[in-house]
Amino acid sequence: MAAGLARRDRRFGLLMAGPGLAAMLLVVLFPLVFTAWTSLYEFTLLRPVHDLFVGLGNFAAALDDGGFRHALRVTLAFVVAVVLLEFLLGLVVALALDSVERGRAVYYAILLCPLLMNPVVVGLIWRMFLHPTQGIVNYVIGLAGIAPVNWLGDPAVAFWTLVAVDIWHQVSFMVVLLLAGLAALPPEPYEAARMEGAGPIRAFFWITLPLLRPVITVTLLIRLIFAVRTYDLVYIMTRGGPGNATDLVSYFIYRQAFVTLNLGRAAAMSLVLLAIVLLLTAWLHRYMRSLRA
Amino acid sequence: MPDIRLEQVSKVYPGGVTAVDAVSLDIRDGELMVLLGPSGCGKSTTLRMIAGLEPITTGRLWIGERLMNEVDPKDRDLAFVFQSYALFPHMTVAGNLAFGMRIRGVPRAEAGRRLQEVAATLGLTELLERKPGQLSGGQRQRVALGRALLRDPVAFLLDEPLSNLDAKLRAGMRTELIKLHRRVGRTMIHVTHDQVEAMTMAERICIMRDGRIVQVGAPMEVYRNPADTFVAGFLASPPMNLLDARIEPEGAGALVIAHGLRVPLPGALPPGPVTLGLRPEEVTLAPDGAARIALDTVTQAVEALGPEVILVGALGDPRGPEVSWRMPRDFTAAIGQPVRLWLDPTTVRLFEAKSGVAIALSWPKP
Repeated sequence: MAAGLARRDRRFGLLMAGPGLAAMLLVVLFPLVFTAWTSLYEFTLLRPVHDLFVGLGNFAAALDDGGFRHALRVTLAFVVAVVLLEFLLGLVVALALDSVERGRAVYYAILLCPLLMNPVVVGLIWRMFLHPTQGIVNYVIGLAGIAPVNWLGDPAVAFWTLVAVDIWHQVSFMVVLLLAGLAALPPEPYEAARMEGAGPIRAFFWITLPLLRPVITVTLLIRLIFAVRTYDLVYIMTRGGPGNATDLVSYFIYRQAFVTLNLGRAAAMSLVLLAIVLLLTAWLHRYMRSLRA
Repeated sequence: MPDIRLEQVSKVYPGGVTAVDAVSLDIRDGELMVLLGPSGCGKSTTLRMIAGLEPITTGRLWIGERLMNEVDPKDRDLAFVFQSYALFPHMTVAGNLAFGMRIRGVPRAEAGRRLQEVAATLGLTELLERKPGQLSGGQRQRVALGRALLRDPVAFLLDEPLSNLDAKLRAGMRTELIKLHRRVGRTMIHVTHDQVEAMTMAERICIMRDGRIVQVGAPMEVYRNPADTFVAGFLASPPMNLLDARIEPEGAGALVIAHGLRVPLPGALPPGPVTLGLRPEEVTLAPDGAARIALDTVTQAVEALGPEVILVGALGDPRGPEVSWRMPRDFTAAIGQPVRLWLDPTTVRLFEAKSGVAIALSWPKP
């Protein structure tokens, strides 16, 4: 009786989930399988047929490609820079906001504005702001007597400009998550520490940071995963340039596929990127499970 | 060690809510004072003001000759034990215990020696490497106490430290705390809403209600002579029976009459309505020299507790007010059965009908 009920429940569940599942298979699993399949063939948009099997040749060529390796290095530098800077800045802002009692909602609303914007829009706005001759940024620093900077055109500056715009766009993510973490901390350990004579700095390093560690780790990992895939900002603002100074790996793969038209090679590179992101995700997943234990 | 003195101490929150209202209290050196009251009566706020965790709105707090209102909590030389224990979850038991000594810069060797000493006293030696998450409630409680002991303070402030423990553990920890108090000989201020805890632990009880002190005194003193009907109804379980009654003159003295019960009183009392208080244990099944006033109770329930039986019934007749009496453990009665009990008139307490304040009775010395 009960077994029959459970079976009927299961069948009904499958029926309800069916359409969604089918859609997922179509738009997620199919492209994934197609990519994996394509990566094993000499497959270009000029000759889009799977008739020349090259095995792992595309992978070997990808890893041998100086441009791809450079893109991986730039991406690594970009990810480390944005995640670290956004974290530090986010933590400072979150700590400041945590002690705010009135008007916190207003600060929240202001902070969330950039986060709600589409990255393409963010890129377009900042491209205008940072225009070497017409941009407001150079105008303002000019008022202070500083010579104009070629924000997106100077190879030494463009990378950091990109980092700064990403921070402007994404720092609120850190603030919001860290603030939620701070708000969830119990007040009593702080009072106990106060009775024992711990000042605010000791309280921060001895209590807040260790207690916040799970939130910090999860926030960092999530941000890391998203930062690895950054594409829109580069596409809009620098197109990987000047030279290849901001050639992030997502944009490099895009060019490989739709400029060089070498889809087989691009597929192999995508899978390498996918492996990296999967590794990070698995790490995040394991960490979150260890928290529950 | 100095006394702790509160002079007209009040706490008013920004919204205008008065949590503590002009509380004056002297806590003597070495005393175990219990602040007792229902939740929201201001007892915890009072304790937190003594600790310095809440600023005092008006009034003065003295520790010895020193005015403490503006003194930082760490400089008051007090140890606080929190209801939730407030252990640092990321530190081991040893780390939690050593926290204060690390901050105060106690030399490593001495800190280690004292830590071992306190851990041994509290039976924590085996647990030093564990984290709070791996401890039971009672063990966490002991760590919190250990942290306080290592402070070697002027006084221990305990904010409902037993309320998160189960009943059996609570009774055990109660005894432990009393022993601890005797051993360290320091002032302890213990906040609780549990009247059993207050009665068993306190040298003096301070009963609070709505931010004010209602009565301060030794447990039995407060128990025998409650200052008002609130205290009478709050202490002990079952509490004092409180009955609507009236006073009528009789000869040179007076009579208090409650639903057929007539108790003679000494001296001339003004006639009118009063509240009559009768402790459940002040009746006997047979008359003797002192217990000479007959009192009938119609049985409604008989609750056997083991060492004793609680007889719940209606006074006088089935429609009378509900009363509870403590009976010997072999007592039985059928539902609806009237039981005749005997009362010593000197044990009754009278309260003003409106204000609930106790009325003094002067019985002639036997």
